Amino acid sequence: MSADRSTHSQPTRRHLMGLGAAIVMAISSRAARADSDADRATAFMTQMVTDLIAVVNGASGTSDRAVALQKIIDKGVDVNGIARFCLGRFWRQASADEQKQYIELFHKVLLKNITGKVGDYSGVDISIQKTFSRDDGIVVSSTVLRPNNAPAKVDWLVAIDNGKPLVIDVIAEGTSLRLTQRNDYSAFLTRNNNSVSALLDALKQQANG
Amino acid sequence: MSGFSRLSRVLPALGLLLAVGALSGCASQPPADDPDAVAEYRETNDPIEPTNRVVYAINDAFDKAIFRPLAVGYRAVLPQTVRDHTHNFLGNFGMPVQMVNDILQTKPRHAGDSMMRFVTNTTLGIGGIFDVATDFGWPNHDADAGMTLALWGVPTGPYVYLPLFGPSSPREGVGLGMDYMMDPFNWIGVDATDRDLGYGKTGVSALDERSRVIDDLDKVTGQALDPYATIRSLYRQHRQSQIEDARDDSKPTIPAWFPAAIPAPSKSGSVGSTQK
Repeated sequence: MSADRSTHSQPTRRHLMGLGAAIVMAISSRAARADSDADRATAFMTQMVTDLIAVVNGASGTSDRAVALQKIIDKGVDVNGIARFCLGRFWRQASADEQKQYIELFHKVLLKNITGKVGDYSGVDISIQKTFSRDDGIVVSSTVLRPNNAPAKVDWLVAIDNGKPLVIDVIAEGTSLRLTQRNDYSAFLTRNNNSVSALLDALKQQANG
Repeated sequence: MSGFSRLSRVLPALGLLLAVGALSGCASQPPADDPDAVAEYRETNDPIEPTNRVVYAINDAFDKAIFRPLAVGYRAVLPQTVRDHTHNFLGNFGMPVQMVNDILQTKPRHAGDSMMRFVTNTTLGIGGIFDVATDFGWPNHDADAGMTLALWGVPTGPYVYLPLFGPSSPREGVGLGMDYMMDPFNWIGVDATDRDLGYGKTGVSALDERSRVIDDLDKVTGQALDPYATIRSLYRQHRQSQIEDARDDSKPTIPAWFPAAIPAPSKSGSVGSTQK
């Protein structure tokens, strides 16, 4: 009897150990991947923050700043994704041509808004405090110090798509920029008969005004 | 009592403004055959939107014509250090109410911070002008009655845009009333001088706060397609973030005789902390 049991249990035990080892490796590699994602996001944001500070504190005019900011945005921000998010449920209602126009205008208006927000600041410092994971991405939390202002908490939401990190949202003192923009557009559309073309006209005015 | 008489003078004016706004009516619900629109209407939770928009328009006109220019003048005339000291001085008056709210929120570490801030800033900080307490390890935090109610589990309710006070909700409105009642500085003194000093403090406080957000508010409303909706969204998100920060902050109070180093604030339960 006991001889029977021992001849059966040896291979089973080995199989179990092999399975256990495989599970442990899968979990730890997932954890390792998550860690490496967080590291990648932190490194990516550190670089972007350095570039931003260089532009903001550099002594150049508005148009030069706009060009430099455009480079940073193109390299590191998922503008198309943010644009689609901001149109929300109206994206599906828009025609292909309207969608294309919207994305183009969104790019222009975003650059204008960012250049405007950055404004005449100089002597700005951004220091990265910590990084943690969330459902929709990795949050890199930083503190922005503007002269003559209290320090502001700014969180950068980074998504890693095929190994490439991109910023998909900026959360300033608890307020998400893309969510606020979506609420703005959606309120505008509700008051304008859900007409995407009315939104496009308004965006054209903003981009050119 | 001076507190009541001040309140009873302001209430009729507020009531009149609200009545005028209320005549504009309630928002119309989207048709039931558009489930996305209905879901969004529910999520926005702004059933008296037309009224709110009227009040916002009145407030905005008043702000553009009178209040913002005053704030810009205030900022131009007084140097930064004077404005900072004024801000500290005015903020110091808020510490007793803040401490009461911290206690009601069962945040002993925060209550201790508020109390020590009041004591050290009033004495060493010469009447609250200099903020020495932060350097001593008692930083400031947010705590008002609206947050207390939120931490007690009171839901926020629909969006209400109040005259003068701006974005609010039923819970926050009750919170404002509670803070007013709990503030000992509103009950001190009964004669005309104390009343006028009280009005003066309120006025300069409002000017001080307005002057601190001039540029940011300009940018937000200038870049928005619908400034009313943008402010509604920003206000709610910011409020929610404040409440969550307060809820998650469970710094334990370490007795002075405990030799170990003070640990970092933790989210999970720890000695002397309470979770809501």
